[in-house]
Order: sequence, then C-alpha cells, then structure tokens
Amino acid sequence: MLSLSSVSASIAGIPILRDISFELKPGLTTVLIGRNGAGKTTLLRTIMGLLPATSGSIKVDGTELTTLPAYARAGLGIGYAPEDRRLIPEFTIEDNLLLPALALKLSRAESEERLARVYRLLPELEGMRKRPGGGVSGGQGKMVALGRALMVTRSALLLDEPFQGLAPALALEYARTLGRLREQLPELTLFITESSPQLLADISDEMIRIERGSIETDAEAA
Amino acid sequence: MLQVLIPLTVDALANAAIIFFVAVGLTLVFSVLRVLNVAHGSFYSIGAYAAASLGLWVVSAGLPEWLTFPALVLSAAFVAAIFGPFVEHLLIRWTYGKSEALQILVTFGLFLILEDLQRIVFGVNSLYEDTPMRLLGSTMIGGIVYLNYQLLLIALAILTLVGLKLMISHTRMGKLIAAVVADREISQALGINTNRIFMLAFTLGVFLAALGGALATPTTGVSPGLGADTMVLAFAVAAIGGLGRIEGAAVAAIIVALARVLAIYYAPELDAVAPYLVMLVVLLVRPYGLFHTDTTRRI
Ligand SMILES: Nc1ncnc2c1ncn2[C@@H]1O[C@H](COP(=O)(O)OP(=O)(O)OP(=O)(O)O)[C@@H](O)[C@H]1O
Ligand SMILES: [Mg+2]
Repeated sequence: MLSLSSVSASIAGIPILRDISFELKPGLTTVLIGRNGAGKTTLLRTIMGLLPATSGSIKVDGTELTTLPAYARAGLGIGYAPEDRRLIPEFTIEDNLLLPALALKLSRAESEERLARVYRLLPELEGMRKRPGGGVSGGQGKMVALGRALMVTRSALLLDEPFQGLAPALALEYARTLGRLREQLPELTLFITESSPQLLADISDEMIRIERGSIETDAEAA
Repeated sequence: MLQVLIPLTVDALANAAIIFFVAVGLTLVFSVLRVLNVAHGSFYSIGAYAAASLGLWVVSAGLPEWLTFPALVLSAAFVAAIFGPFVEHLLIRWTYGKSEALQILVTFGLFLILEDLQRIVFGVNSLYEDTPMRLLGSTMIGGIVYLNYQLLLIALAILTLVGLKLMISHTRMGKLIAAVVADREISQALGINTNRIFMLAFTLGVFLAALGGALATPTTGVSPGLGADTMVLAFAVAAIGGLGRIEGAAVAAIIVALARVLAIYYAPELDAVAPYLVMLVVLLVRPYGLFHTDTTRRI
C-alpha cells in the first residue's frame, strides 16, 4: 500500500533519517516504536512531504510521492494527525473538521457524508462542534485532530503519538476509538507512532522499531 | 471651531482611507507570506500613474466622463494582474522561509527596479486627472462644504474593510487564507496548495495598494517619489495596528488621521511627523502594535 525504499532525510543539513525501507500492508495496523528523538515525527513529516526526502522513494499504490507537492497527499486520501493537535484556534471545531473538505473542494454531499462518518466514529465531537478550536482541552483537541485526519482518509491514516499527553482515562478512550475505527473501516491502512509498545499491543498487526533514524524490523508482532 | 475642525477631519479621514488601502495590503501580504514587502508602496504609485494615464486617455478620446470612475478600479486590477503573479513567482517565492534581512534586501531591490521602471514608462513629470472629483462635486450641510469624492473614499475604505473581514470568515478562499496564516504546515497536510494561496494573497495585496494609488489620483495627482513616501506612512500605520491585522490597519489609519488633525490645529509644524510620533508612543507601550495577540497567528 504505502512503501518506502531507502528513504533518507535531513533537517538543517543534519541527516536524521537514514536509508529507511518498509511497507505498510493494506488493511493492517502498523505501529512504529521509537524513543524520544528516534525520528518518528521526522519520518511521518517526510511521508507527508512536509520535509523533503534527500534520497529514496515513497510510493502509495504505485504513485511516487516524493516528487509531488505536500498538499497532494490529502487528495490521495492520506490522513495525518500530528503529534501536537495543530487546530486552527479561531475556527470552530466543525470548521476545523471541514477544512480539508474545503481544501479538496469536496461536493457538499461528500463533505456532509464524511463529517457524519467522523461524528459516528467520534460522537463526543458533535457536542463541541460550535466551540472554537482554541477552546478545547488537550485531550479533546487530539480527538478533533483525529477527526480532521479522518475527513481526509480514504486509503491511509497516519497518527503521530496519539496518546502522548493524554491522561490514562483519555488514552484508554482514544485506544477504544481506534479499535472502533478498525472495525468500521476494515480496509483502512493505519500507521501509528508510539514510544512504548504496551498501549497499542491490542490493535497492532505489525511492529517496526526506529532507532536513531534507522529501522530495525521486529519479528514479534503483538 | 467646528467650522474648521469638521472639514479638517473629513480631509484627514479621506487621507486615512487611502493609506488604509495601502496598509491593509501590506499587512495582508505580511501575514500570509510572512514577507515584509518594502516595494509595496511602488504598487501604489504604479496604480496612481496607471489610473491617471487611463483617465487622461478616456477624457482625450472623448469618451463619456463617468467612465473615469470604472477606469480607477480597472487600472488597479490591471496593475495587480500584471505584477501580482509575476513578481510573486519570479522574486518573492525564493525568499519564503529565508531570513528577514534577505527578504528586505530582495524587496528593496524590487523597489529600485520598479522606481526606474516608472521613470521609463511614465517619465518624471507629474500627472493630474481629477475628472471623478469634479463630476461628484460637493455637498453643503450646516454651512460646511463637503467634497463628495472624499466621502466616497471613506465609504469605499469601510466597504473594503468589511468586505475583507467577510471574505476571510465566510468564503472558501478566505478560510483557506486564515488556515495558512495560522499554520502553514498543517494546511498543506490537509490539502491546501499554500503556494497558490501565497500568489493570490500577494496579488490581492498589490491590488489594494494600486487601488489606493488609483483612488488618490483625482485628489492629489501623481509625481515621482510617491511610492517611497506612501510606503513609509503605510508601514507606520500597519505597525501601529499590529503587522498582520486587518482591522488594526483601519483603526491605526484613523488614529493617525486624527493625530494629524490635532497637529494641524494646534501645532502645524508637527503635521508631517505626527504619524511617526504616534507610532513611537504606541510601539513603546505595545511593541507589536495595538491589535497584536501573542498566543495565535491570525489575520
Ligand atoms: N527542527 C529541528 N531542528 C533540528 N533537529 C531536529 C528538529 N526536529 C527534530 N530534530 C532532530 O531529529 C531527531 C528526530 O526527531 P523527531 O522529532 O523525529 O523524534 P521523535 O521520534 O518524534 O521524538 P518524540 O518521541 O520526542 O516525539 C532528533 O534527534 C531531533 O533532535
Ligand atoms: Mg515526535
């Protein structure tokens, strides 16, 4: 589905990712484990085109991504929820959710259908749809960021440390939501980064480890 | 006293309206592209030259005089269409994300090029074309004479302010612009072609500056050096309001206009420096301007 071969990337001239190759299988949940500073965020930003790869190739169903501008990924149905929520503070929650629909010029029917899907998967968002993006808690914001990524998602969903900064109860709820997501969208390819393997043990099909910018594939899938 | 103060104030507000067009364009470009365009004032003077030339042509060709009104807006649109996409693509684009020193050097270079270009195309003579102001005439209310064209300028500035705010909050393009202002990276990840937004915002900025110049011609005419003077004043206004804030530019333009009224009335020798005195005081108290909020980036 999504495959990387020999991808390297640098930040400010310093090599961060080195020769990364792996493949996400369609319909499976792959978890990328790595400690702080290992390169998880950098890897997701490189896949999203927010940081240019210095070499290597990234393909989605045969389409080469590295030569496409960053914004084209949303059109290909690749959703992304960054580590820090990154909501637009002066937009309402619903306008935050609808932003990708505006950007992609979706028809009204299509936007409404996708929004309904998000509210079905994350019912707590509907209750706060009129609140400003700057007026929700950190945990609620993470849910909104997940919903916003889902507005884009048709093929793959990339989540960067979704549990980071969540209180245990919220983390549990978020994990349950991911479980529901998995059930309702069985064809979805999920890619989640995390610093510790425990939280995602239940829902992960494959596990990859990243260490100082390099991948070591791990045989023991949970 | 009112017989003197009211006409002075209307005069100052009409000037404020013109400066608002330029300052709001500067502030829009700054907040979307994060580039302080030192050459912004040149688009004001190019707009002024274009409008005066087109107006003179309309009159000399014996066309109906009322056509000089649409000619003002048309020349601004023409300047924006010619310079906006071209300059953004060729020059400004290469400075995104670079140091401010480089951005200022590049746009200063652009300023020098545009000044020379104006000298080549329009010569060094002043142009006067005041048909629109003559056509509108004046109104007498309570013994005070108002120039209708000045009232029109004030109304147009208010309409532009309201229109820009509504555009940002209610249209697709406006929301995309607001998102890019708030967070470029996430905007791209959500499917927004940020380069296209930069180009559109820059072109809109050029249009607003050129419109300011075009609308000013019937009252003041055009002469060389106008671009630099206007740039300095527009920058002061944008800085007072808070660079990047649309309503800030409007409020600051009015404050500056009223300061000049007071200066003319009480200390005429301070007229020209009044805007900069206001800027000094405001920036000492609020270094990022009146409307700056330090938590989020917004327009
Ligand atoms: N803007 C930056 N400038 C310089 N170095 C950076 C920058 N961002 C990340 N790095 C470096 O790149 C490496 C990988 O960082 P990255 O943010 O990808 O790690 P991570 O695995 O996401 O960590 P965390 O678990 O803390 O989120 C780190 O060594 C970090 O210091
Ligand atoms: Mg990270």
